Amino acid sequence: MARIIGGIGTSHVPTLAMAHDKARQDDPDWRPLFEGYAPVARWLAEKKPDVLFVCFNDHATTFLFDLYPTFALGVSERYEIADEGAGPRKVPPLRGHAGLARHVARALVADEFDLTLFQDLALDHGLHSPLTLLWPSQPDWPGKVVPLVVNVLQHPLPRPRRCFALGKALRKAIEGYPEDLKVVVVGTGGLSHQLIGERAGFNNEAWDREFLELIERDPERLAAMPIEDYMRLGGNEGAEVIMWLIMRGALEPQVKKVHSSYYLPMTTAMAVAVFE
Amino acid sequence: MRPYVFDLERSARGLRLNRFLHGLANGEKRTLFVKDPEKAMQNLSEQEKALVRALDWRAMMDCGASFFCLEKLARAKGVSNPEMVAAFRGETLEQFLKTRRVPGAR
Repeated sequence: MARIIGGIGTSHVPTLAMAHDKARQDDPDWRPLFEGYAPVARWLAEKKPDVLFVCFNDHATTFLFDLYPTFALGVSERYEIADEGAGPRKVPPLRGHAGLARHVARALVADEFDLTLFQDLALDHGLHSPLTLLWPSQPDWPGKVVPLVVNVLQHPLPRPRRCFALGKALRKAIEGYPEDLKVVVVGTGGLSHQLIGERAGFNNEAWDREFLELIERDPERLAAMPIEDYMRLGGNEGAEVIMWLIMRGALEPQVKKVHSSYYLPMTTAMAVAVFE
Repeated sequence: MRPYVFDLERSARGLRLNRFLHGLANGEKRTLFVKDPEKAMQNLSEQEKALVRALDWRAMMDCGASFFCLEKLARAKGVSNPEMVAAFRGETLEQFLKTRRVPGAR
């Protein structure tokens, strides 16, 4: 049977991809970022999951507001790297685990989570900007992904509690898949940042630190918070951390955070954490 | 406080502009925009065209543009996110970078 061997929470800032693609590992401005992700990459290399189930948001790339799904699950075997305005990144197309994804689609709809399902669409940095710091991409990715796209752009957003409940249903769904697979669930986004308006450039490290504690020890409290509180505390765009609640819901009630790092160089707080 | 919430009213108001901006993530449409911007912008209103020509990020947002659609235009024009954020704050890039912990991380 498939089993969830852990969870990862990570930012998905586009500059994670830029720093990786331009090989800034030895640049003092970027070294703390790479040092923060290296233990997570080692953890993955050691645990060797077959699949990363990645909860992320599209940035009006794959989907536009003429059709913007609240929860959309990818169920195909391959996803191209999307062009976001400057040409696609030069990393291999993502390999999808279609068998697990289709099983999860059936199980979640049966559990009354009426997902949108998509196939063969190009995906943006929301998924693969952190992925290149987690997995080697050359000559090819060491495993497969299942992408779950969440609307955190166009209000109304799904409620934090709904994200947490979806994570719990996702755990049952994954554990019901008959093939022996090791799965890591990844929740992306955040931490604090605001990109627009007079409050652009806003950060809140105290709230970020509290969030990193609560997601480990008291996710129920995070699930009970209204989205307005996330926006006030973490910035308009920082409210996307509700996607970490899907990951956390898919883990055991009691988890241990085995790694956590935090770096706030510019506009968005970059964090990564591993839970077992 | 709910300023700049991208809600359904804002989304409806900005759909035409967002469709244009989103199109810049397509290589062929981007090439057309570089070669013949007026033809690429033909579906926009005169006001929207003027704002795109001027790269007036704040005013485009007031017309309903999503930040993430504006990013496509920024990438096509070689403008960085810190430059956009500075514009939203009404600052120059240099002023904005002085407020950051690691100004070189961009």
